[in-house]
Amino acid sequence: MMSMLAVACDALSVLPFECLEPRFMRRAFLALLLLTPMTSMLGVQVTLFRMAFFSDAVGHSAFAGVALGLILGAPPDAAMLVFGVLVGVAVMAVQRTSGLSADTAIGIIFSAVVAFGLAVVSRASGLARQMGQFLYGDILTVGDGEMAALALLLALLLLFETAGWNRLLAMALSPVTAKVQGIHTAFWHYLFAGLLALVVMFSVRAVGVLLMTALLVVPAATARNLARSAGGMFWWSIVVGMSSGAAGLLLSAQAWMATASGATVVLVACAWFAFSCFVRAVRK
Amino acid sequence: MFPEAAGGILCPSAPEVRFEDVRVRAGGRAILEGVDAVAPAGGATVLVGPNGAGKTTLLHCLLGETPYAGRIVMEGGRRMAHVPQQLVVERGLPLSVLEFLALGGQRRPLWLGVSREARERAHALLASVDAAGLARQRLGDLSGGELRRVLLAAALGHEPDLLVLDEAEAGVDVHGERLFWEVLDAARRARGFTLIMVSHNLPLAAHYATHVICLKKRVLAEGSPRETLTAPLLLSLFGVPIHLYPDQCDLEGPACPQCGALSAPGHRGRLPAGLADRKAS
Repeated sequence: MMSMLAVACDALSVLPFECLEPRFMRRAFLALLLLTPMTSMLGVQVTLFRMAFFSDAVGHSAFAGVALGLILGAPPDAAMLVFGVLVGVAVMAVQRTSGLSADTAIGIIFSAVVAFGLAVVSRASGLARQMGQFLYGDILTVGDGEMAALALLLALLLLFETAGWNRLLAMALSPVTAKVQGIHTAFWHYLFAGLLALVVMFSVRAVGVLLMTALLVVPAATARNLARSAGGMFWWSIVVGMSSGAAGLLLSAQAWMATASGATVVLVACAWFAFSCFVRAVRK
Repeated sequence: MFPEAAGGILCPSAPEVRFEDVRVRAGGRAILEGVDAVAPAGGATVLVGPNGAGKTTLLHCLLGETPYAGRIVMEGGRRMAHVPQQLVVERGLPLSVLEFLALGGQRRPLWLGVSREARERAHALLASVDAAGLARQRLGDLSGGELRRVLLAAALGHEPDLLVLDEAEAGVDVHGERLFWEVLDAARRARGFTLIMVSHNLPLAAHYATHVICLKKRVLAEGSPRETLTAPLLLSLFGVPIHLYPDQCDLEGPACPQCGALSAPGHRGRLPAGLADRKAS
């Protein structure tokens, strides 16, 4: 897989963009092309289930995961992923089983993981640099291992969306009816939460925790405005997400822009959203 | 040929549903206190009762959504379909009626399109609930009555032996409500499934139900509508005088000069203050 990704990375040099000459830029470009379809696909379901706050809570657990990895002597990146998935599944469990409202349940876990991360930072001064990466992201330093993980996760997510898309939509519309129809709602909820947590963690790596939710929500919201069907919404979300990722990175590397790549990606997505609002208004 | 049953054909797999001493407690409070009732196979059973009587809870026990003590026995087919009270659907969601019906009718994800079979099936289902022509509409743009009939079409698509409806006519205007009961009754007569539903519309329940269960935490009465929905029983059930069958009315007292409703001893206070004063004078 590594060699396939290397070939794909080299192939990107045929694109007529000077800024893609450095290999790290081509790698970042490819990483965004792998990540944005995932955030866009899951974003449609995040908006359907109103789970933007859920994603925020999982994203904020990234730093606590890194801190935990350092304390336990485990690789910080792996610890971050595992911790993120655990937080995602825990939030889903509390949401499904406690009498608390979703917002309250998520708010409690959100507070706990952020407080834990900050407590560890306050003890270990060496973590301050990691804090900057956590807040703003850094897609330009993405490594080979992360690229391979992104490609694997994308393949997994495509399988999930093929088998689960109809079921998740039915669950969002009426959980009770979905269950009566024989859909194993608990299984699909937890699987969705786990995969979403993984994608959120990679998004934090790419654009930082402050902007990570935008990668999920903005393409999906734009797709709602542009699509004429639920199936169309899926494809529009991917088009908006991928084009924002590609255009954002290329723009951020221009001398006249020289902006942070993550922020520029999100700004392009927001421009897409503004355009979609115009299109919707014209259609009415 | 199916044997002829009261009110239409009887599907051989339509189950009889027996509730045996069903009890539910929540927060130290009894929601259901030993419900014993039977929903006959192939019949239209309507649960009636005031708010908080446990009607929806009893349905949720049947659907496996609420834990309960006691037994619920289904004798016959077990394929169940459910028509929810409402959908969690935002107006902005571009989900068409056709796609909604295809959700339960095809394995292919909707983002790969609606299959020809699912499309044909959806059109046939819509026609069966007097909703032909709605296929291209967005679900969020439908009126209350149209949405209810589309939800019914989706449930019928699962070819149920037992159809469960939770106040599925709520929020629908008078015409839409009547039309909903009409298509529901026609579907039951044509397909022969067992129907169990909650309803607050007593006149329509009296007209279309084959069996009524009067619930107020436990069963006060059950049987045919005419035998069950009597004025005394409805008075003890709802606490206000209701006369579905004028020939059964045995309440005394003058009628309200404004609307003609009869009052009942001990219930004058429930009339609006102005009307009560006028009656007293």
